[in-house]
Amino acid sequence: MENTVIKINNLVKRYGDLIALDHLDLEIKQGEIFGLLGPNGSGKTTTINCLLSLLAFDKGDIEIFGKKMTPVSYDIKKDIGVIMQNVTVFDELTVYENIDYFCGLYIKDKAKRREYVEEAIKFVELGDFRKFYPKKLSGGLLRRLNIACGIAHKPKLIILDEPTVAVDPQSRNRILEGIQELNRNGATVIYTSHYMEEVEQICTRIAIMDKGRKVAEGTKDELKRMIKNTETITIEILDVPDNIVKEIASLPHVYDTDLSNGKLTVYCSGGKHNLIRVLEVLQKNELSFGRVYTELPTLNDVFLEITGKALRDKEE
Amino acid sequence: MQVFKAMFKVMRSRLPSALIYIVCFFAISAIIANASTNDNKFEAKRLDISIFDEDDTPESHALAEIIKKSNDIVEIEKDKDTILDSLYYRRIDYALIINKGYADKLRAGETAELFSSYHLDESFSVVYMGQFLDEYVSTVKAYLSMGEAFDEAVANAEDAMSQNAEVNMLSRIDKGGNSHFSVDFAGYFQYMPYILVSIIISVVSLVLVTMNKKDIRYRTNCSCLKESSYTFQLFLGSFLFVFIIWLLFMIGGMILNKEFYTGRAWYAVLNSFIFAVVVGTMAVLVASFEPKDNVLNLITQVLGLGMSFFCGIFIPVEVLSDKVLSVARFLPAYWYVRANNMIADITQFSLNEVIQCYLIQLGFAAAMVIITLLVRKVKYSGAAIGTAVKKAAAAEH
Amino acid sequence: MFMHILKYELKNGLRTKDLIIWLILFPIILGTCFKIAFGSIYEKTEKFSSIPVAIVEESENAAFRQVIEGIEKSDEPFLKASFTDKEKAEKMLDDGKVEGIIFTSDNISLTVKEKGIRETMLKSFIEQYKVREKIAMDAINTAPEKAQEVIASLTSETASSCRDIPLTQGNPDMYIQYFYNLIAMVAMFGCITGMHITMQNQANLSPLGARNNCSPVQKSISILACLTGSFILETICMVICVSYLAFVLKVDFGDRLWLVYPSAILGGITGVSFGFFVGSLTHIGEKAKSALLVSISMLLCFCSGLMVGNMKAIIAARIPWFNNINPAAVIADCFYCLNIYEDYDRFITKLITMAVISVMFIVLGFVTSRRKKYASI
Repeated sequence: MENTVIKINNLVKRYGDLIALDHLDLEIKQGEIFGLLGPNGSGKTTTINCLLSLLAFDKGDIEIFGKKMTPVSYDIKKDIGVIMQNVTVFDELTVYENIDYFCGLYIKDKAKRREYVEEAIKFVELGDFRKFYPKKLSGGLLRRLNIACGIAHKPKLIILDEPTVAVDPQSRNRILEGIQELNRNGATVIYTSHYMEEVEQICTRIAIMDKGRKVAEGTKDELKRMIKNTETITIEILDVPDNIVKEIASLPHVYDTDLSNGKLTVYCSGGKHNLIRVLEVLQKNELSFGRVYTELPTLNDVFLEITGKALRDKEE
Repeated sequence: MQVFKAMFKVMRSRLPSALIYIVCFFAISAIIANASTNDNKFEAKRLDISIFDEDDTPESHALAEIIKKSNDIVEIEKDKDTILDSLYYRRIDYALIINKGYADKLRAGETAELFSSYHLDESFSVVYMGQFLDEYVSTVKAYLSMGEAFDEAVANAEDAMSQNAEVNMLSRIDKGGNSHFSVDFAGYFQYMPYILVSIIISVVSLVLVTMNKKDIRYRTNCSCLKESSYTFQLFLGSFLFVFIIWLLFMIGGMILNKEFYTGRAWYAVLNSFIFAVVVGTMAVLVASFEPKDNVLNLITQVLGLGMSFFCGIFIPVEVLSDKVLSVARFLPAYWYVRANNMIADITQFSLNEVIQCYLIQLGFAAAMVIITLLVRKVKYSGAAIGTAVKKAAAAEH
Repeated sequence: MFMHILKYELKNGLRTKDLIIWLILFPIILGTCFKIAFGSIYEKTEKFSSIPVAIVEESENAAFRQVIEGIEKSDEPFLKASFTDKEKAEKMLDDGKVEGIIFTSDNISLTVKEKGIRETMLKSFIEQYKVREKIAMDAINTAPEKAQEVIASLTSETASSCRDIPLTQGNPDMYIQYFYNLIAMVAMFGCITGMHITMQNQANLSPLGARNNCSPVQKSISILACLTGSFILETICMVICVSYLAFVLKVDFGDRLWLVYPSAILGGITGVSFGFFVGSLTHIGEKAKSALLVSISMLLCFCSGLMVGNMKAIIAARIPWFNNINPAAVIADCFYCLNIYEDYDRFITKLITMAVISVMFIVLGFVTSRRKKYASI
């Protein structure tokens, strides 16, 4: 049976005139890897900060593990692991000491803590850097240290706020695998990012945020089903007469075409055998073409269609 | 002028604390400026004395009157702690008790234990007052022994004690009176170095450290901005800040003293400008060691206070020992104070020597620039960057 | 949990090497400066010593010469006279080798360079001589038969008419209070470490603060542990500072040095609490805040007499209550009381004041940082 871990009800947060969170509702079930997706400034981090009772909000309720979350809900905090967007470690403490410090805030038993810290170090593969100071670590290693500090105490709920910013692909994959492993071991995960691929890769359920509102929510497939586009066919072709483009555009399920840069792009919505029908038209008109490929929609397409824009590059 | 603009933006964070220094300095200068004379006539020092008259007879009142003539009477509570505090912090110089039975004893020609005084230390004031009291008593006694009545003897003693000795001041050509540089101005300029050091080093060094932070420096080096232009803008920004602060003080000085600088006062203005420049170069030097923020605060205080006490800014040069002064010669503030004292006629004025002081200060500035260049050369040379990169690479693997 | 956080607070603090080094180095450098600068001032200017004077005899005045010679013979002579000619005397005066020149002719006159207590004493000395002349004249005029007796009574050594009531066994050197203020300043600079506590525990001040806020540790415990850590670090600094002043520079703190230590330590705690309180107040940048703290500390130290020695007395005369709440003044006063007062009443009052100020700052700091949610981060 799925238990609700987090319940956010009608959350409103204003910064002066700016509405950072606009009547947000979220429900996260146990065992999920819940992706919170959105462009910069869409309110992801604000949601997390409200969730953690760091920020005061104007309206709404937040429940974690079925209890109301307040700044003094220490019993709730005990089971949460937080990995913040900024690397939050002490510059003057070594890798080991940093993990031990943060783990120590949750685990009192020393022997158990030592074991947990070692596990965390092994988990993020920082074994060789135990005695290093954070300053000497590269960006990726620092991020891994940050994660180790957040998960060492084996929390039931792990909140990761863009943990892979500025991390190389190897490190990133390692981090993503790690998150899945943690999830397999029973932790519920909230993961915010503006990298579509990451979210697509690991999340079981996703909410898309924009301008403080939740614009869509569901599993990957559910989300993809929400949009018109189901298939995009791209054909490398030198020149296509207008009438033929029109003919293709009038095929069933095709809702848009585009001819540019020697590429004919056909957008289809639903239906089967769309590619074959397009190729039939080309063959009929004796047009030769180069490479042909079709793509299923990605989250990026979902995102583009729902928010009506590409990822903004504005800082949060 | 991006670098230049950025500097002033960085400075903003330090402005509140700089403002505290400036406001305090003006406030304190205003208080000090209110009281001081510019007289070349000798005046006997008036001691601040508290009298506790336990005898309370006409005779004791008469004595109090005599003391009052050449000293200032300070009323304080007759409480041991209050008296002790007042003596220690020199609010009063002497605490006198006229013992009960003073008049009777004196009439009988007894001199022992007529008075008591609360005693902290054997200072000049104590010796002076002791002598005065003895003198008074023996004068009265002398008249008594001439066969005069007691009242008469007291009156005569008072008369005799009002002798006045002629005192001349050692004369010098061109005394302070017509030098257009009043003692007030001298005081204003006297304390300025500490404030200049505090403000300029804490602000300029902070900005330079920020602008020279490794990441920012590397980033700036990657831009199309010429190295020389970058340095020039940093220099210009620092200089402009120093200049503005200095100008503020000069305007403040005019407002406080309600007059425009004239005559010799301009030497002091120039002197302070040169010192401000020296402090500016000092700030650049401090910045080249890239201290952390809190450490910078401490360094500023060490430099400001250390120099102020060593070079006679907070305490007058005259009381410093020769040994201290011979060490102080190696600090720019010493030459600032020396020039300022000459301009204020505290010591013999000589234009040549004042100019010499200017040049020595400028010499310090030049030395500071050279040391800065050397430090930078060692720190930022290709080799240094190379090893830094190697270190970073080692950390990666 | 308390010990866990304390342990890491100490590790963290001790490894912030440059700050610790400077906090320790700072009083050592300035203390040495003070010692060199003030070492001999008290003996030189305040404490009584013979006044060097040049005497130029423009015409023979045997009586005066006799008086001078009489004075110079006593154990603690008032004057140190050197007979010379006018030109040399003026040179000596200008060089500061003598305080004044006495010209003896029919009318004795004095030439000096400054207007101070020593010059006044010289003037008074000449006047005294004149008074005696006058008494002798009066005696001869009014009662010639008793003149001999009168003159004898004037010249005879009489017991001092004034009895000293000693106020203290302590060190009366007022310049020592610069060292008191130096210790007070070091204590006040503890505010920098105090400020870091709030940086580390308040979510709106640093990401680390936000992270620490997410842990299941009660905020009060975490702050208390950090405060304790800062107190310990500050205690180390204060002990080193006082030890250096007392044993290396041999500054005389009176005969109760063992009590100077706890006072200095309590002062350090006051400084840390002050920084903790101010740190928790506003949401301004760390750099601006630390600069602000340092300049406020310096202002308080100024009022306590760090730069101008008798500032405290001036304030005591105008706004006496301020000295009782200015932490720097209270700290410096503690050492003063230990040195000067024999009883402990005032010392204990000062200690209590310090404790009250510290507790007040800590409580206020707790109250302001207790606000658990923040409008913005």
